[in-house]
Formats: sequence, structure tokens, C-alpha cells
Amino acid sequence: MNDITQIPTRDPAYNFAYLDEQTKRMIRRALLKAVAIPGYQVPFGGREMPLPYGWGTGGMQLTAAILGAEDVLKVIDQGADDTTNAVSIRRFFARTAGIATTEATPDATVIQTRHRIPETPLQAGQIMVYQVPIPEPLRFIEPSETETRTMHALNDYGVMHVKLYEDIATFGHIATAYAYPVMVDERYVMDPSPIPKFDNPKLDMSPALMLFGAGREKRLYAVPPYTQVSSLDFEDHPFEVQKWQHCCAICGSHESFLDELILDDAGTQSFVCSDTWYCAQRVKENNQ
Amino acid sequence: MNAQLLQPAFVDPVLDAQRSFRAALKALAEPGLIQPLPAAPHLEGLAPATYALCLGLLDADTPLWLAPSFDTPLIRANLAFHCGCPLAARREDAVFALLGEHDLHDLSGFDHGNDRYPDQSCTLLVQLSDLDSGRGLNWSGPGIQAQRQVSLPLPQAFWLERQRREAFPRGLDVLFGAGHYLLGLPRSTRVAEECA
Repeated sequence: MNDITQIPTRDPAYNFAYLDEQTKRMIRRALLKAVAIPGYQVPFGGREMPLPYGWGTGGMQLTAAILGAEDVLKVIDQGADDTTNAVSIRRFFARTAGIATTEATPDATVIQTRHRIPETPLQAGQIMVYQVPIPEPLRFIEPSETETRTMHALNDYGVMHVKLYEDIATFGHIATAYAYPVMVDERYVMDPSPIPKFDNPKLDMSPALMLFGAGREKRLYAVPPYTQVSSLDFEDHPFEVQKWQHCCAICGSHESFLDELILDDAGTQSFVCSDTWYCAQRVKENNQ
Repeated sequence: MNAQLLQPAFVDPVLDAQRSFRAALKALAEPGLIQPLPAAPHLEGLAPATYALCLGLLDADTPLWLAPSFDTPLIRANLAFHCGCPLAARREDAVFALLGEHDLHDLSGFDHGNDRYPDQSCTLLVQLSDLDSGRGLNWSGPGIQAQRQVSLPLPQAFWLERQRREAFPRGLDVLFGAGHYLLGLPRSTRVAEECA
């Protein structure tokens, strides 16, 4: 079930990868600018997709614009290949573009993701496409787009540190656990999308190209390969990732990001890997 | 427009445009690495790589500024037919500009974007005779793991012009094309003086 690479036939009723060519060119031009200005949010003319906002319309538009006939697509939703969102998006592109899909991280050339970076290290040449709900890291502090745009222009990010400091003052530590703000190439503060902060270190100097698309907010941004991405922190409160006392109940991994499962009414807990392909691979290796 | 000037462009407009875009994306994401663009069409005066970029990226939304050396009836007619891009009379109005190696001594006038919208800058498509016969310079920055030595055959004046306009995030992004090959120089790349 896990590493079957299937090549479906394309539905000729749609243009290749659903979007029309004019729209793809518009998104492509925006992507080139996004790559040239790492971390900067480029406005683009987001189109309506055949599924509601919040289901990955931004990521899908980027995927549609970059996808070619030779690409192999993997789609994950919180690390899982087999949840509704991942299955539907994978099937959507299999049908409209007729491209090969896979669940194996190393076999994929394009990986569209909702809120996780795979545990298996990414390789040069791979492209990650993130689905982003709110692209503006300063939005919860400053609701005005005019203001936040000026703050980015002036490299004025003091308020972000104030927010993190308030966490320390209230909770004794930085309580932000996902969508943890990062600084890209020492210039732009960027929302890495709601990935757990556990995944933040994987962004730094990654060999893969990272593209971020927000459909409702009509913004896209990018982190080129081998780009410095540092999580914001303080000297006396350095950035730290989550740790678990447990290991995965299925594969026994101590290194991966774990999801908590509640098993009964008494609140019995169990922890399993969020990355399903990584977990299945480990089980297979252990059985050999 | 003379119908006799028109020549076929991409064999498969959808997938060929995608290939030329992906080559451009890779070129800007990994500055200084030469990207091949094998199946690009030829037009007299335009190298396959340069022409493929035009066909893949230009349309009615992108005014193009043509350097005088490219301003031929053949190029005008084919760009008008295949891309439908308006030609900008002034450099200030251009979203893309097509330049040759002799046009690099003066980069004035092109839009650098502004601090709030640095993405609104002009993208330069520069056609060269080759991509590796110049003196070696050390490039670093996003997309480059440590340093990369790149030997573009460019006049010193180009680097001075670029340096004078360097005010990140404002700046010019350049895609160099020669034959069937592409090379990107985004504004984020830091170019150091020549290496031994």
C-alpha cells in the first residue's frame, strides 16, 4: 500500500493541472519574485478552486503552476498520506494532470503539505509546497495590512519579540508551539505555516526549495534551498523543540514528532508518529 | 504585422512553458548554477533559452522593453503573436526587459520595486554568447550552500550598475540565457570580488 507509484490517466476535460495557462503564468511570475526575495510575501491573483478555502487552495494553486508531466507528487496532511485532505488533493492532480503520485518521501519531486515537514530528510531538487492559512506573522499583533507591510519594509520587528517576551512573562517560557516565527536570511520575519516548531530546524539550510501559498489571503512566499532560517528567540531563552517522554507505539521511534491518541473514556494515552510513511518504513525495516 | 514573419513556437505550449518556467525557477533558486533547457524553439536573433523564457513568462499583463538590438520586425511579430505582450516605450513601464551583452553598461530607468512592494521590480532577460568565459567571481547568499564560483562574460560596468542599485529588498533580478542554457542572478545574491 505504501510505496506503490501509480500513473493514472489524465482527464482531458481539464487543462493540464486544472488551472488555465494565463493564471499559471501569473503565479509563476510571482513565484520567481518570491524566490528572489526570500521570505517576502508576494501578492497574487488567487483563483477560486473547486474546494473551500482552508482546504489547501493556496498550496494547490502553486502545485498546479509548477507541476510538469515528469513530476511525482506526494501530499500529506499533518504528516499523514491517508487522510481526507491528502487523498483528495492527490487524486485531484492525478486526474487533472495525469501525473504519478507516491507516498514515499524520497521518490517525490513535489510534496504538498499541510502543517508538517516529513521526518525523512529532504533532498536537493525536491520542492515542498506548504498550505498556509494566515501568511502574515504579525497579523495577530497588528490587524492592518498597511501597517504590517510598512513594518516589513522598515525591518521593524520589535513587536514580534515583545509578543514572545510576553509569553515568557506569563508562562515562564515561549509558549508558541506551532507557526513559530522565523527570520529568513536575516531580513524577513516569516510565518513557516502552522508546522509544529519541532519542524522549524528542518527549514534551515534545507537542500529543498520551499514554496508557501495562502489561497484566501492571496499571498505566496518562498525559501530557496540552502537559506538561513532561524527561529526567533532570546539569549537567555533559546529556541527549543518539543520533546516526548514516550516513543511511537507502532514503530518505537524516539526521534519523530508524535501525535497523542486518547484510547478510552478513562483518558488512556498512546503516542504514534505523525509521519505515516516514516512510521510504516520503520515497521517494515524492523520486521526484516 | 506580416503573416510571413510568423514562425512556430513551442511544440507543446502547456508542457514546454512549464519546462521553461521550472528552469527559470531553479535558476533563481540556485543562483549561478547553469540550467539546461533542451527543447526550446529558435528564432533569428533570440537564443532558444531567451526565447523560451519569453514564451513561458510573458503575456498581455507584462509590458516588455526591447533593447534596440532585439527590436526587429521578426521578433516584434512573433512576440506579439505568441505572447501578446505590449512593448514598453519607456524602461520605467517595463515588467520584463530583453537585453544583450552590449546593453549592460546602463541599467538606469528599470523599476526596482519599492520597500513595501519589492516584487514589482523589472526582471531582466539578458542574452549572452556563453555563460562561462568570463573571470570568476564568488557568489554567496540564499540558494548557495557556501560559495559558488561563476564566470559570466560580463563587463565590469554591469557589476557597478548592479551594486549602485543594490538596496535589498529593492533590486533587479536577472536571468541570463545563452544557447540552450540559463543562469539566474536574483537580487539576494552577494557577489564578491574575483577569486584567484
